[in-house]
Amino acid sequence: MTTLGEVALWIALPIALWGTVLSFAGGRTGRTDLVLSGERAAYALTFLLALASAGIVAAFLGERYEFWYVASYSNRELDTYFKVAGLWAGQRGSLVFWTLLLSGFASIAVFRNRRRNREFMPYVSGTLLAILSFLLVVLLFAEVNPFERLGFTPANGRGLNPQLQNYWMTIHPPTLYLGFTAFAVPFAFAVSALLTGRLDSRWIAVTRRWILLSWFFLTNGIIFGMRWAYEELGWGGYWFWDPVENASLLPWLTATAFVHSIQIQENRGMLKVWNMCLVVATFLLTIFATFLTRSGLIESVHSFAENLKIAYIFLGFLGAVAGICAVLIIYRLPLLKGESAIQSFVSRESAFLFNNLLFVGIAFAVVWGTLYPLITEGFFGQKINVGPPYYNRVNVPAGLILLALMGVGPVIAWRRASKRNLRKNFALPVAAGIAVAGALLALGVRHWAALSTFAISAFVLTVIVAEFWKGTRARARISGEGRWKSLLNLVGRNRRRWGGYVVHAGVVLVFTGLAGAAFDVAVTQELAPGESVAVRSAFGHEYSLTYESLSHSRPRASAANRENDWRWTALVTVRRGGERLAVMRPERRFYPVMDQSSTEVGIHSTAFEDVYVIPRDVDLESGAERVVFEVKVLPLVPWIWYGGMIVAAGALVSLWPAGVGSGRTAAGGRVPGAAAGQAA
Amino acid sequence: MKNRRFLVGLAGVAAVVSYLMWTGVRDSMVYYMTPAELVARIEAEPAFRDVGVKVSGRVVEGSWQRLPGPEHEFRVADLADPGVVFSVRFDDVVPDTFNDRAEVVLEGKFGPGEVFEARTVLTKCGSRYEAAKEDFAT
Repeated sequence: MTTLGEVALWIALPIALWGTVLSFAGGRTGRTDLVLSGERAAYALTFLLALASAGIVAAFLGERYEFWYVASYSNRELDTYFKVAGLWAGQRGSLVFWTLLLSGFASIAVFRNRRRNREFMPYVSGTLLAILSFLLVVLLFAEVNPFERLGFTPANGRGLNPQLQNYWMTIHPPTLYLGFTAFAVPFAFAVSALLTGRLDSRWIAVTRRWILLSWFFLTNGIIFGMRWAYEELGWGGYWFWDPVENASLLPWLTATAFVHSIQIQENRGMLKVWNMCLVVATFLLTIFATFLTRSGLIESVHSFAENLKIAYIFLGFLGAVAGICAVLIIYRLPLLKGESAIQSFVSRESAFLFNNLLFVGIAFAVVWGTLYPLITEGFFGQKINVGPPYYNRVNVPAGLILLALMGVGPVIAWRRASKRNLRKNFALPVAAGIAVAGALLALGVRHWAALSTFAISAFVLTVIVAEFWKGTRARARISGEGRWKSLLNLVGRNRRRWGGYVVHAGVVLVFTGLAGAAFDVAVTQELAPGESVAVRSAFGHEYSLTYESLSHSRPRASAANRENDWRWTALVTVRRGGERLAVMRPERRFYPVMDQSSTEVGIHSTAFEDVYVIPRDVDLESGAERVVFEVKVLPLVPWIWYGGMIVAAGALVSLWPAGVGSGRTAAGGRVPGAAAGQAA
Repeated sequence: MKNRRFLVGLAGVAAVVSYLMWTGVRDSMVYYMTPAELVARIEAEPAFRDVGVKVSGRVVEGSWQRLPGPEHEFRVADLADPGVVFSVRFDDVVPDTFNDRAEVVLEGKFGPGEVFEARTVLTKCGSRYEAAKEDFAT
């Protein structure tokens, strides 16, 4: 299986190159046989890359430690599902996985459009195959081949880093990669539109659902990453402005800007050049993220000297793509002229424009902060880092304005808003915001950023609820349906709009959750068994945590010599106001193969706050079993995860195919592909 | 007309963002050095002892001592030039991935003494952990 996978990788490259050439040639000459051959190359690549990926997984499961990659990211004692996840645990495997997902999306795009949008398709498949060719060249020639052999077979592998041994590890990277790779499809359509000169909103209409799909996965991927950090890294936070986190945020920022700005192009025929730039920038950032995440370029230029080769290859590719797209956009400038102009600052266009500028501004600030060590080293010969305060300084105000715009943009009128439009839509929400601000001030809240977040959130939520209310009432009046039925039909008729509102409501919840960090409480105390520590949360709840006992467990006792980790588990009872809430089992683990320890925190979630217990240090020498606990009460953190789920649900509503759901029949409904079939 | 407004908006947002970025960099910038660079800089400019810096190096094997507290003492060597070594004191809990071969990033300053007073100790991030080919040979 592994040999087959290795061979598949080698066969894939000529097929990708062949398909690229044929697709572009077919587009140029209009010969359908060439185009068809190019499209079949995409299917073949998906198959071959699936084989290659299966080969890697087989090597992990078969404990084939003669392969450098397998030996570096696994050991005999590792759980099976972490062995499967070994495919994306390191740079080499994740490149194969990335390529597999991209080829899969390319195949889906080609298949779904096999009878539609024929003017675009040759260049779409050509562009996607060109990207795939590049990735395959990297895999085979940039010393990152996952099938590279060590030349001897070690008795055991080095093991997977303990911090990656968490179930989010099996979920978070694939989700993010799905988001990164799905965006290649809109990018390919954009390039195709530039090449063919068909620069109306058609390419956007065709790829709208792809854009939303990518956005859906990116958003979830980032939130899953935050959860992973929160549960596994054990410092009670979820975001550290680490270069790797920033890398995943950057394409999300530009993609979010793009999701909004395409609406202006579709409705008003404006911002065509801007949209082209955004789609190209987002695609470049997805590639940048992939390569930054796994190359270690930012933090350790010195220690990763051997990896600089791949850095130069990727930078060259990014430069080439940026250059080609710039030339194409300049060449097509006459066709990218706006069809109308902004008439007033108080209009929806203007709100969307402002939203875009802020997203791009944030993205720029994040790029700057992330690359600052490289920039200062290049210019002054001295690396200088910037920390979280830098990012907060820029992004907190910008984020708050964006939050407020979420309340303004959807209801303000196109072109020019009248005083009446403003009064009608904003009087109540503004009052709600002021009321919340006043109430919080009266309660003694003086943290300005958190206070503004809660007040603006109240404003935005009121706008959204009022929109749903008005829409449902109007529909119920006209159609005579009941409230709930008309709400469902309302959403069904314009999923994109109402789904967007649901996304906004989720984002509001996420923002309030983030603002909760202003009220974190933490206590560190060393306890002997039987002793307790008391904490008072920002909501005024009195928690008491009792350290009951310590147990040294050997979870895989049946296979005594096959232990992946040893565990010391503390039993901690949580009480609130005397009432027993839960028993937590925070752990210290030691991974003998890796010679590393790790902490598993205990988390007890309530609706409004999390009790978060970190066993900092376990005294094993004296036999007294004393443990240093850090106890945190983190208000509103659960709201981030709830908000994330609502965002995901809203995004799904927006991108769900129009035929499904509303057109459901007794026979089980229509499948997404059916629409394409019927078009024939 | 449209272009001018667009440009005014762009310039306005760019100006505000740049201002915030500039003050943000000014208030949170930290030198990121290797031990060799730090030692050389302090020799040339003794006042640099009191400047907070980030230093990346490797913990010297066998040098890690745990004192009651939780307090830790260890020595850190330059990655490229293992001859450059200095002592570090840290009075908090070290990260899980810390051991006496770990590659670490310290944040802190020397102050008046010969021991680097670390305010934070980070170990190099997990997802980029990779073994060199030679590591398997032993």
